[in-house]
Amino acid sequence: MIKIHLDPRTKLVMIFAVSFIVMVNAVSTIEWIVRIIVTLIPVFLLANEGKHVSAIRFLLCYAAAILLLKYYISAESTGILSALLLGYCGIVAQFMPAMIMAWYVIHTTKIGEFMSAMQKMHIPDGISVSLAVVMRFFPTIKEECLSINDAMKMRDISFGGGRITKMIEYRLVPLMFSCLNIGDELSAAAVTRGLGAQVRRTSPVQLKIKAVDWLMIVIFLLSMIIFVISKYFR
Amino acid sequence: MIEFKNVNFRYRGTDESGLHDLSLTINDGEMVLLCGASGCGKTTVGRLINGLIPHYYKGELTGNVLVNGMDIEKTELYELAGVVGTVFQNPRSQFFAIDTDGEITFGAENIGMPPDSIISRKDDVSSEMHIEKLLGRSIFELSGGEKQIIACASVSVLSPDIIVLDEPSSNLDLEAIEKLKEILKRWKLQGKTIVIAEHRLYFLRELADRMLILENGRITKEMTAEEIKKLTITDTEKMGIRPMILPEIQYKNSVVESEDILLLEDFCFTYKDGKHGINIPRLELPAYRIIAIIGHNGAGKSTLARNICGLERKCKGTLTMNGKKMKAKERLHNCYMIMQDVNHQLFTESVRDEVMLSMTDKALTDEQKASLADEILEQLDLAEYADTHPMALSGGQKQRTAIASGIASSKSIIIFDEPTSGLDLAHMKQVADQLKKLKDMGKTVIVVTHDNEFILSCCDHVVRLENGCIAEDNHKR
Amino acid sequence: MKDNKLNIKDFITIGIFTALIFVVEFACGMLGFIHPYIVASYVVLIPLVGSIPMMLFYTKVEKFGMLTIMSVLIAIIMFVTGMGWLGAPLIIAAGLIADLIAKKGDYKSFKMTVPSHGVFCLWICANYFPVIVTAKDYRKSLLDGGYSAEYCDALFRAINGKTIAILLALCFIFGMIGAFVGKAVVRKHFEKAGIA
Repeated sequence: MIKIHLDPRTKLVMIFAVSFIVMVNAVSTIEWIVRIIVTLIPVFLLANEGKHVSAIRFLLCYAAAILLLKYYISAESTGILSALLLGYCGIVAQFMPAMIMAWYVIHTTKIGEFMSAMQKMHIPDGISVSLAVVMRFFPTIKEECLSINDAMKMRDISFGGGRITKMIEYRLVPLMFSCLNIGDELSAAAVTRGLGAQVRRTSPVQLKIKAVDWLMIVIFLLSMIIFVISKYFR
Repeated sequence: MIEFKNVNFRYRGTDESGLHDLSLTINDGEMVLLCGASGCGKTTVGRLINGLIPHYYKGELTGNVLVNGMDIEKTELYELAGVVGTVFQNPRSQFFAIDTDGEITFGAENIGMPPDSIISRKDDVSSEMHIEKLLGRSIFELSGGEKQIIACASVSVLSPDIIVLDEPSSNLDLEAIEKLKEILKRWKLQGKTIVIAEHRLYFLRELADRMLILENGRITKEMTAEEIKKLTITDTEKMGIRPMILPEIQYKNSVVESEDILLLEDFCFTYKDGKHGINIPRLELPAYRIIAIIGHNGAGKSTLARNICGLERKCKGTLTMNGKKMKAKERLHNCYMIMQDVNHQLFTESVRDEVMLSMTDKALTDEQKASLADEILEQLDLAEYADTHPMALSGGQKQRTAIASGIASSKSIIIFDEPTSGLDLAHMKQVADQLKKLKDMGKTVIVVTHDNEFILSCCDHVVRLENGCIAEDNHKR
Repeated sequence: MKDNKLNIKDFITIGIFTALIFVVEFACGMLGFIHPYIVASYVVLIPLVGSIPMMLFYTKVEKFGMLTIMSVLIAIIMFVTGMGWLGAPLIIAAGLIADLIAKKGDYKSFKMTVPSHGVFCLWICANYFPVIVTAKDYRKSLLDGGYSAEYCDALFRAINGKTIAILLALCFIFGMIGAFVGKAVVRKHFEKAGIA
């Protein structure tokens, strides 16, 4: 199968459109169809990038929520369980498209790509550097948290001796110390490799809006327009 | 050429020595090895060459440092980026990107190299260093050794004339050190000037053109390549540095002799990726001894240690000691691990509190706990730091604080994960002494390590792992 | 620091602390899955817990732009993680004003840090924007689905266009209280350890 690799800017347009669409309630059949299409596209793209497991997981979750909403929960169903279920299914059906989209964008965009896209959109270097650090730090924080958790298990203080304040303190304080240390060394390593030079950064990643990008942009903007019309001009 | 002319330096806000009236000339294409105890100033020399001092680490600087004729003080860091490349000690904190490709090209992107040259430089470097299979991977799945090689590649992309390495082997196993040695050899052939600060020296014996020994910010001894090659273990011991020859561990094949044994059964565990894990149906270890677990990166050493500790709930293995069979959950109450990065296991605001936190015996009053804690701190030479915040201590003191809280928890098995990475001879011996002390207290000590010098200095028994299985299980001679 | 322009180290520090704030946000967000009411308590939880990294952050950069850039980053990340872009103006405005307040105290005066953190915490309310905007439609569909008006009221009592003012006020108040909590932790640990 051909690998579809989208330009980060296309992805931003897609997120923009989906974030709008999830905020409008779908009433007519057309709207539901559009909604399902914009959900299925990122699922398909995820599978295309080789992330089959998460694609299938998202698909099942979304399908279950939609089917439950449509068939199981009806006027007759009462009781706390179905009320809760309705709440969850409602949230899933409503916001899941944005979640899938976000997951797809985050897991398939490289930092280098993202930074050069930001540069093309004339966003200052300071912001893109900070943003790259945020992205780099999420996995780091995860690793650190796991180690801290292990240490807490060994000391038998996972629940902070029953006090919530201690639970938070024992987790957050070592994490912050670690992050500061890593940040300090990271800054030193980055400046010795020329970060902060008074020249325009270059990138080996050449970004180009291709036909498939245009196709996606058109589909998502059209979907958004359908929702705008149905919301404001009906 | 690098020239230091009467350089004095003191870090801001400390009375740390820094450098005293240091003069030094390093010629083009020379490989200079800097060694000495921690805090001797060797890292500071490196930082003056790559410009981190005075531009990043502030302090009082007098005298001149010239790198290829440029005065460091008047040259911006990014102007030096293409001239001096630096490989740092900690592979975990020196990468900026998440993917290997982005990391290798990071420096070139910063200085605005044209995209075509970046790509061709990347290709050249990766075929030169044989790292094609590391390309396109996430940095977070790489081992420490692989990360360090990527760090070398990202320096190489900029083709600097001078390369500074600050304790690059600290976190590496023997195999990774071999790879690092290959890279250094290639750089030397390319005529690069190399300045390397190190504690572990054996892999540099044939490469170094000159060795400088520093003490309190002064050069106290200078040796030529011929002199370095002649150094024996007794010579280096006298000089207070690690040996120039990798000491071989001599084994004595025998079954466990001591009457008390630790019996591990069914230690099988696989990580989610399905590739890494351990498979140990049965292993007998001598109790009340110091046992080293060795093996390559990825052989399962740390996994075994984590499982002994009971940190992996899914592991069905049992550990029998003194007739008591323990599952993972019970092991968690009987084992204590000193992690490689001790920062993760220090939680409180003073060393004494840290030790008291481990005392879970409810029968004790706070005063009793405090006096017990002071006793333990006394044993580990930490008494004067009882009220200090653990994070304000040096690395070695932090490690001892962690040991102290292990003792306070009165657990019988103490596990160490790479306790000597990045330590000089004196500190390594200090750790060895601590382990012996723990043995004398009647603890069973298990050490995950790849430091042969350390194993020789204190371990009684060695277990070697390969692909998650026991490859050798021997007494040390 | 004579230099008032942000340098690379500052940008990296900003990135690190933004990541930490988001970890706090995600951790609280997990709790939100348990019951929708917990979602409303973000205004208390995040300012209090988030204040610990924030107070350390205040001591680390001390230059104009630190909070503005952080708020821009938060807005971008909220956008990319699919939480919409309606909140962006609120987030960035909160960041900018907080920055200006802190600048008045030269980033050193704790008196200025307290209201500055209070204002900064207003960004948390941006979390609710998608819910508020969709609430009317959502509620209608619930009613169409046969649910009693009572249940729907309960569901949206905590979060709606009217209570948003209260939520904003709570964010501000707890942001100020959080400043004291965070400062206490910074004193207890980071100043004692000589880092801060």
